Amino acid sequence: MKKLGYVLLLIIFVLCLKSCLHADMYDEKGVKGENSVQQEMFFREYPTHITKNIDGTDYSQSQTDVGKFGGTIVFSTIGEGPKTFNPFNAKDNISATLSEVMYDGLLSTHPVTGQPVPKLAKDFTVDGNNYIIYLRKGLKWSDGKPITADDVVFTWKNIIFDGMGNTSTRDSMVIDGKLPTVSKVDDYTVKFTTPKPFAPFIRNLSTPIAPKHVFEPAVKKGTEYFDGFLSTNTPPDKFVISGAFKIKEYVPAQRVVYERNPNYYVINKQDKKLPYLDKLVYLIVGDVNNEVLKFEGGELDVIGLQGANVSRFKELEKHSNFKVYNLGPSTGTMFVTMNLNNRKNAKGDYYVNPIKQKWFRDKNFRQAVDYAIDRKNIVFNIANGLGAPLYTAESLNSIYLNKNLKPYDKDIKKSEELLKLSGFYKDKKGRLFDKYGHLVEFDLYTNAGNTEREAIGVMVKQDLEDLGMKVNFKPVEFNTLVNKLVNTYDWDLVIMGLTGSPLEPNGGKNVWMSDGTLHMFNQRPANSNFNDKLEWEKQLDKLFIEGALATKFEDRKRFYDEYQKIAYEEKPFIYLYSPLVISAIRNKFKNIYPSMLGGLTHNIEEIYIEETKK
Amino acid sequence: MQILKYILKRILQAIPLLIIVSMISFFIIRLSPVDPLAELRLNPSVSQETLQKETQRLGLDKPIIIQYGKWAKSFMKGDLGITSNGEKVSDKLKERIPNTLLLTAIVIFLTWLAGIPLGIIAALNWKTPFDRVLTVLTSIGMAIPSFFFAVLLLIFAVKTGWFPVGGLTSSDFLEKSLFGQVLDITHHLILPVTVLFTLSLAGLQRQMRANLLDVLDSDYVKFARAKGLSEFDVIVKHALRNAINPMITLLGFEFAGLLSGAALTEYVFQYPGLGRLILEAVMRSDINLVMASLMMGAIMLILGNLIADILLIITDPRIRRGNV
Repeated sequence: MKKLGYVLLLIIFVLCLKSCLHADMYDEKGVKGENSVQQEMFFREYPTHITKNIDGTDYSQSQTDVGKFGGTIVFSTIGEGPKTFNPFNAKDNISATLSEVMYDGLLSTHPVTGQPVPKLAKDFTVDGNNYIIYLRKGLKWSDGKPITADDVVFTWKNIIFDGMGNTSTRDSMVIDGKLPTVSKVDDYTVKFTTPKPFAPFIRNLSTPIAPKHVFEPAVKKGTEYFDGFLSTNTPPDKFVISGAFKIKEYVPAQRVVYERNPNYYVINKQDKKLPYLDKLVYLIVGDVNNEVLKFEGGELDVIGLQGANVSRFKELEKHSNFKVYNLGPSTGTMFVTMNLNNRKNAKGDYYVNPIKQKWFRDKNFRQAVDYAIDRKNIVFNIANGLGAPLYTAESLNSIYLNKNLKPYDKDIKKSEELLKLSGFYKDKKGRLFDKYGHLVEFDLYTNAGNTEREAIGVMVKQDLEDLGMKVNFKPVEFNTLVNKLVNTYDWDLVIMGLTGSPLEPNGGKNVWMSDGTLHMFNQRPANSNFNDKLEWEKQLDKLFIEGALATKFEDRKRFYDEYQKIAYEEKPFIYLYSPLVISAIRNKFKNIYPSMLGGLTHNIEEIYIEETKK
Repeated sequence: MQILKYILKRILQAIPLLIIVSMISFFIIRLSPVDPLAELRLNPSVSQETLQKETQRLGLDKPIIIQYGKWAKSFMKGDLGITSNGEKVSDKLKERIPNTLLLTAIVIFLTWLAGIPLGIIAALNWKTPFDRVLTVLTSIGMAIPSFFFAVLLLIFAVKTGWFPVGGLTSSDFLEKSLFGQVLDITHHLILPVTVLFTLSLAGLQRQMRANLLDVLDSDYVKFARAKGLSEFDVIVKHALRNAINPMITLLGFEFAGLLSGAALTEYVFQYPGLGRLILEAVMRSDINLVMASLMMGAIMLILGNLIADILLIITDPRIRRGNV
C-alpha cells in the first residue's frame, strides 16, 4: 500500500515537471520580461551629408547637430589585436576594421537604406558596365599632398588587380576570367569598366584608396615586401591617411590609439572641420568577460552584448550612465542542413549511406523536419529571447529579403502528413520507418565547445524525436567538423552558422551555386565535373548568375526573391534564427544614429561628447 | 678550469635533449586535429585559390617530416620563422618578453625577499601560534587556484574602482610624465603581482621552513648546540648553510619560470605578456610561434638547472668533491 503511494507521488511529480517544462518554454507572444528589449528598436532618420564647396574644396557637410570638440571614445576588440594596418593585407575582421578607420573609400553605404553613397567621391554614375566616379576637388592626404585620380587608378590597377596582399576583393570581381578595368579621365574623374554588367561591383568601390606616393615604392618591391608593408611594427608617423582618424600608438595586446586627422574633409553645419573627437581608442581584450568588466569599470565606452548580459545591463541601465540599443537581427544565420550527397568517394564507397540518401534527398522529409522544429522555443531558451526566428536564406536585415515568405509555427501534424506521403510509417513503439522498413536513425553534428549550438542540437533532437526519428547528437571538435563538411562529406545532419552580407546576396554564391566551395548540402569536390545537378540547383545557379549581371536594384531583387523562394521550399538549409545585435554606449556621446546596417557608431566623425550634469 | 669543463659537458648533454623536445612538440602539435585554416574554409567569401595559397604558404601541403626538417634548419640558423599571420616570430616575442620579465622578476624578487625570512622565522618558532597562523595562511595560498583568485581580484577592482581592470598601461600613457608612467605601470601591476606573489610565497615559505626544521633536528646542529655555540651562530653558520641548498635548486626552476610561469594569470588580467601570446598561438596551431616558445622554455629550464648546479658547487663543498 505504502509502495503504491510512493509510485503515485512519483508519477504526479513527473507529470508536474513535464507540464512545468512545457509551460516554461514561452507564452503566446514569446515575450517574458527581458524580451522587452526586443520591442524597442529605436532608429532615427539619419540626415545624409551634402557636398559644399568652400574655396575650391568639395567638403562633405554633415547635417547633424553641431557639437563640441574634444574628448575620447574607447572601443574594444576581442582577440589578439590587429595583424597589420595595411587595409589591403587585412585578412581578418579586426585588422580590416582597425586599418580601414584610416583610409576612406570612394563610396560607402547608407546606414539605413543600404544604398551606395559618395565618400571620397563627390558623385558617381552607373551606366551598364561603366562606372564613372567624380572625385572631390581639393582633398588632401594627411601629409598635405592632394588626393587625385592617380591615387585611385594606382590603388585599383597596381594594388588590387595586380594581386597585392589579400586578393579576395580581386577574386570576387573576376567575371569569365576577366577583371574590370580602370582608367583616368582627368585629374578628378575615374572610369571603371566591368567585362559584363556586374552589379556587385559597386560595393567594391568602398574599398579604401591608397596614397600613391607612399604605396608605390612598396608595390614595386613585389608581393612579398608588400605583405609586410605598414605592418603593426611600422612607426605611426609613416602612415599617410585619408580617414577621420590616424594611428598614434599601437601597444601590442593592449590597445590602438588614433588621433583626429585635422585635414579631414567632413565639416559641420558651421563649416568647422570634423571629427569632433580628439582620440579614438581600441582596447584589445582577450575575451567577452573581460570586456564586460572593463565596460562596468568605466574603461570602455561602447560594448556589444550577448545572452544573459543583456538583461543584466538592461537592469543596470536605469541607474547608470549608458543606454542599451537593440540594433535588430544580425547578418548571422543559424541552421540545420542535411547531406544530399549521392556520390561515391575515390574508393567507390558512398559518402552517405544510400538508405539515408533516400530520406535526405526527399523534399517531403526535409519539410517534415522543418515543420517539426520549434524555432520560437529555441530563440526563447537558447538566445534568451534575443533572436529572431528565421525562415529565409537571406538574413532579416538584408535589403534583398523576400518579405513574401511567411513565418510559420511548429506543426507536427503537417510533418506527419508529409512523412506519410513519402511512405514513412510509425510502429507501435512510435519509431519511424521508411517505406522499405528501415528505421529512421541518423547523426546530428555540431562543433563542440559552442554552447549555443550544443543547446540547439539538444532541442532539435527532442523535436525530431517527436516524429519518431532516432537522432544521435554528436558535438565534435570544430576542425573535425569542417573537415567532414569540406573534405570527407561523411555526415548526415549538421548545425552550423554562416554570416552573410545584408547588402549583397552574391556573396552567398559559394554556398548556393552547385560548384561553390561551401555548397555543403550537396558538396562536389573542387574542379570536378559531375553532371548531376538537381533541378532546383540548376535554377539557383541560373538565378545567381543573372542576379549578378542585372544592375538595377528592382531587377536584381526579383532574381534574389526567387532564389529565396526556392530555398524556402526545398529546404536544403533549415534556418533557425538570427541573434539580435545589442550594444550599449555611454549617454555622454551625442549624435548617435543607431542603424541595423551601420551599428551605433557608423558616423564616428559626427559623434561628440556632452557631459550632462547630475 | 674544472668548472668550465663541467659547464661544457652539460651544454653538450643539452643538445640531444633539445632535439628530442623539439621533435616531440612538433609532431604532437601537427598531429592534433587543429587545422589553422578551418576558419577560412568556412568563410563564404574566401576563394579556393586563396585557400590553396595559404596552404602552400604555411607549408601544410608537405609531409610532417619535411615540415619539421624545414623548421629545424631555420631554427639552427637562428631564424624562428613567421607566424601564421606572416609576422616575424622574433618580433612577436620581443614585444612580449620585457612585459613578462617585468612581472615575473618582480614576483620572484618579492617572494624570495619575503618567503625565505618567513620560512626561517616559522621554523625557529615551530608550533608557536605564529607558525600555526602562517601555516594556515600559506595553505590557503597554495590551495586557491590562480585564475579564481585573479577573477576575484578583478571583480574587486571593478566594484571599488581602485584598480584598473587588467592591462599594463592606461590609454593616455604616452602623455604622462616619466614619474606618471612609472606610477601607472605600478598601479596596473599591483593585482597580478598580488596573485602570483600569494601563490608562490606559500610554496617557498613552506619549503624553507621544512628544510630548516630538518636540519635543526640533525646531529651536527645538536652537537653545535652542545659545544656551547651561541644560538645565532648555530643557526646562521651551521643550520642555514645546509638548509639553503635545496632552495638553490628551486631557484633554478624559478629561472625557467621567468618566461613561462604565469599564463593563466596573464590571461585573466589581460596582461600583454608571453603567456597570453602562446596560449592564443596554441589555440590557432600557429606552429612556429608555439615551437619558439617551447624551445625557449626548454632552454631556460636547462639553463636554470645549470646555474643552480654551479651555484651548488660553489656553496656546497660536498658536491664539489663528489661530482666534478
